[in-house]
Order: sequence, then structure tokens, then C-alpha cells
Amino acid sequence: MKKAKTVSAVKNTQNRQSIKSYLKNNWQLYVMILPAVIYFFIFNYLPMYGIQIAFKDYKAVMGINGSPWVGFKHFTNFFNAYYFKRLLANTLILNVENLLISFPIPIIMAIMLNQIKSDKIKRGVQTSIYVPYFISTVVLAGMLYIFLSPTSGIFNTMRGWFGLGAVDYMSSASAFRPLYIISGIWQGAGYSTILFIAALAGVDQSLYEAAEIDGASIWQKIRYIDLPSLLPTIMMVFVLDCGKLLSSNTDKALVMQTAGNIPTSDIIGVYVYNVGLGSGQFSYTAAIGLFINIINFILIITVNKISQKTTEVGLF
Amino acid sequence: MASNAAPGKTGKRKLSRSNRVFQIVNTVFWIMIMFIILYPLYLVVIASVSDPDAIIRGEVVWHPVGISMRGYQAIFKYKEMLRSYGNSILYTFSSVVISIMITLLGAYVLSRPKFKGKALFNMFFVFTMFFGGGLIPTFLVMRDLRLYNTPWVIILMGSVNVWNLMVARTFIQTSIPHELYEASMIDGATHFDYFGRVVLPLSKTIIAVLAVYYGVAKWNDYFTGLVYLRDRSLYPLQTVLREILATLQVDMSGDYMISMADDMSSMIEATKVAQVAKYCIIVVATGPVVILYGFMQKYFEKGVMIGSLKG
Repeated sequence: MKKAKTVSAVKNTQNRQSIKSYLKNNWQLYVMILPAVIYFFIFNYLPMYGIQIAFKDYKAVMGINGSPWVGFKHFTNFFNAYYFKRLLANTLILNVENLLISFPIPIIMAIMLNQIKSDKIKRGVQTSIYVPYFISTVVLAGMLYIFLSPTSGIFNTMRGWFGLGAVDYMSSASAFRPLYIISGIWQGAGYSTILFIAALAGVDQSLYEAAEIDGASIWQKIRYIDLPSLLPTIMMVFVLDCGKLLSSNTDKALVMQTAGNIPTSDIIGVYVYNVGLGSGQFSYTAAIGLFINIINFILIITVNKISQKTTEVGLF
Repeated sequence: MASNAAPGKTGKRKLSRSNRVFQIVNTVFWIMIMFIILYPLYLVVIASVSDPDAIIRGEVVWHPVGISMRGYQAIFKYKEMLRSYGNSILYTFSSVVISIMITLLGAYVLSRPKFKGKALFNMFFVFTMFFGGGLIPTFLVMRDLRLYNTPWVIILMGSVNVWNLMVARTFIQTSIPHELYEASMIDGATHFDYFGRVVLPLSKTIIAVLAVYYGVAKWNDYFTGLVYLRDRSLYPLQTVLREILATLQVDMSGDYMISMADDMSSMIEATKVAQVAKYCIIVVATGPVVILYGFMQKYFEKGVMIGSLKG
């Protein structure tokens, strides 16, 4: 970077020549990056261009460009719809609860893992806690359906041991959020520890030795060495997670949705899928999607700013 | 929580006791966590080889009961699953090859210190992490591009991931000695030469890392198939599994049930076998990924570690 800057400071004529010789030697770089550029253009930037249908009445025969403009009609319709509040509340409550409950767990796990004395056991534990990450959303949801089945599920069998009656959790609106969050922790907490473990591995070992000489207990070492060393990573992950507050895991909520739990499982992403693709209301649901995207975008930038101000850690 | 470490003998004793208490707490903590993580997986495996009646009676808790392979026999007659299994292998394999090629080429370019336009390209890629078209516009664009209902949409969708691109870039930047680059350039090598003869052979680790991440994501994705495919014969495995696993009722009319019933057995028998078959399907769908993880384990972790370095 620095060199590039000094180059640009040199006089114009020299500059033009250096660009020529630069391109002569380096044109291949632009060929090599082309596939990635084409990929993102087609799969990310063209859809952004397609966002305009949120302000149009999309008709398949007229296409994205030809459909008539309608301004903010779809947005006002959505804000005035009777289900708007429920959708927004469901989405926010699910994601905020999920963030607050799931977030600290990988940090605790990483700290506790760091305290395992035997390297062999540590490795074994690490290897096993990552395994659930490799299980697909469908299989995870499938396991919930099977284990919680009121007729043959293990969970209701165990309830039976204590003389409790069977409960159909997958059809229960009040069970949806806890199940979503707990299964998410089961699947993701182990994987999420890796970043924190990496941060802990980077801590200067002499700090621990010095603390030991000063007679610090394990708790004190965690409090005064581990936690401060983890803070930048914690903030980074937190900022990223906040950016997903309105969008996370539509696919998981969709496979967990049953007729019984709709009052809580109907979140914006699932609604967009059901109404957009199910009943073909493309423009309307594109508007809803855009609304979420903008809020997420604002969220991540705000949280990043706050994080930069308070802890001097930020993503960008 | 923290015991105040006073100097002197009593302090030391107190301290070692507090540390011992911590070790006990830690051991109990990990035994619990390991149980919570591993028991559901263990249960699936033992149930998959148990007698259907024993499962329904709730007897299969700690070990298999009345060993039976009826579930496995049934799913191997289930044509739609077998076909989608084949589809998924094909999609995953081709997608991983394409993903690795595009990602490595892009990562190489972004890792060149004197590459002009780096900031611009970086922004072009990173912006997509924070903003996107959303489901519906993406769907309509894919339809307009005639990618809807083709294997290509499944293979290409998500085939370059910004995070993976950055991980690969950091890897090339930090693990391939810069002297090699300068020496080759003095010898008059082009970027194509250098990439093919030096970078690729030295990138085995990152190739394995990318294969694990891209491969697992592709194999486990049901949503793309659900949204972008109409033709059931093109469905990947997970999209088919969704209909069988993620549902409250056992659909009596479906293809699935028909393959569960042998000619002789009654509908009740078929329903029972269908219950066990679900466990078997989970084993068959997830087993290969977990085994692959076993082999690629060190690469898996490495990917995240490299990613956490600031490039």
C-alpha cells in the first residue's frame, strides 16, 4: 500500500508509463480474479439490481425492468398489515433471546477448555464438540421431531419414568423458541469456541507464570488474563451477530414450523418464503426482504460504531 | 468467587484448595457437555439397528434392543432417496472443484502486495457480506437467467464465499514465502507460471480447508433445492429428507411409505418400519460427513485459525 502511494506521487508522465509497464507485467492478475468477480456480479449484484421490484408491481410477462412503478405501496401495505407487529415481534424476540442466551456459552466453553490439564483429553474434547456442526439443518430438525415425538420419542419416554404425561412439543407455540435456541446451541456452540480458543492460544504464557508467582488463583487468572485477552474477539463476534438480528436461519425456522407453533414460529424470513414463493406475491415480499436488509445493514454499522467508540475494536 | 490470595502458608493452602475445587467443577462441566453432545448421536445410531417395536415401547435408551436391520433394508428400496443421494454426491463434488478454483485464483490476486485496485475489489466482495438482494429478487434473477430448475443453480449458488476467500488470501499471504515470489518474478515468471508451479503445490492445506467448508455447506443445504428446483428428480438429498424427517405425521400415501412396506406386511408394520428408517436415514445422510471430518479434522480447525489472523 505504501509503495503504491509513493508511486502515485510521482509525476504524471512517469506515472502513465509505469501503469503501462505494470499492466504489461500484471494483466494476468485481472484475468485470474475475473471468475470471482463474475460470480459475485451474477449471484449478488444482479439480485441487488432486482430489488427494484420492491417498488414495482412485478408481472412475469413484463419482467423486472418492464413492470410498472408503484412507489412505496408494498411497504405501507406491510406496515399496516395486521400481522406486521406479530412478525416483527416474533423475529426480534427469537433472535434477541437467541443471541443473549447462546452468545456467552462458547466463551465459557473456551475458557474451561483452556483449563484442561491433559493435552490428550483436551484434543479429544475439542474433536467431539465440533461434531454437531456437521449435522444438517434438516437432520437437526428431524432429530427434534423424532426425540420429542409424543408416541415414541425418547424425551417423553423419560418423562414417563417420572410419571409425567407426554407432551407434543413440536406442536406447541411456547416450546418453539426454547427448542430453536437449545438446538442451535447444541449444534453451534462447539464450533463457535474455535475462534476463542485461538485467541486464548495467543496469550503470552509469561503472563500466567507471573500471575502464578504472585499467587493468583485459577479464577483470578481467568478474570484478569483470559477475559481481557478475549475481549477483541468477543466484540468482533458480537458485532457480526448483531448484524443478523433480523435475518438469521430462515431455513431452520422453516423446517421447525408446524401448524401448532405458527403463533411463535412465523418470523419474517419464513413469511417471505411462504408468501413470496408459495403464493407468488413477489413484489410485496421483495419489499419485506429489503426492509429487513436495510435494518440489518444499519444495525451492523451502528453496533460497529459503538464497539469502536467503547472498546476500540471494530470490524471496519 | 475469587479467593483472596494472602501471602504466606495459609494463603497458599487456600489457593490450592480453590484450584482443586475448580478442577473438579471443570471435570464435571465437561462430562456433562460431552454427554449432551454425544448422547443424541449415540441414540440415533443404536436406534437405527434396533427392533421397531422396542423403539415404540421406549426401551431403546442406553443400548440397541433386538438387533434388526429392517430400517436399513427398507431405505435401500427407497428409490427417491437413492437418486437424491447420487445427485448430492455429484453436486457436492462439482461444486467443491469449482469453488476451490475460483476462490484460490481470487485469493492469490488479493494477496499480491502490489496489485492495483485491491481496495476496490475487496470492497466489491466484502460489501456482499452486509447487503444482498434477498430471497425473492435472487429467485427472479435466477429465473430470468434460465438457471431455475437446473443442476447449475445448485452447484453454483454459494460457490464463492467471501469469508473463505479471505481465509485463502491470508493463507497465501502468510504461508508462502515472499522470497519465492520475488525470485520467480526476477526469473521472468508470469503470474500464471508462479500460481501453477509454486502457489498450487504449496496450498494443499488451504485446499483441504476449503474442501471441508464448501463440501459440508453444499452437502447439508436443503433450502436452495427447495427454492430453485421444481423437478423432483433433480432434488439433492437434504431436500428429499426434509419431507420425511421434518414433519409430524408419517405420510401414508407417499413414495416413502410404499418403499417401507414389503408385499406381505400390513400398513401398521410399514408405519413401524418407517419410524426406524428415520434413524437409519440420519445415519446414512450424516455418517459420510462425520467420517470425512474425522480425516480432515486438523484442516477444519486450521481454517478458522487462519481466518482469525488479520490479513
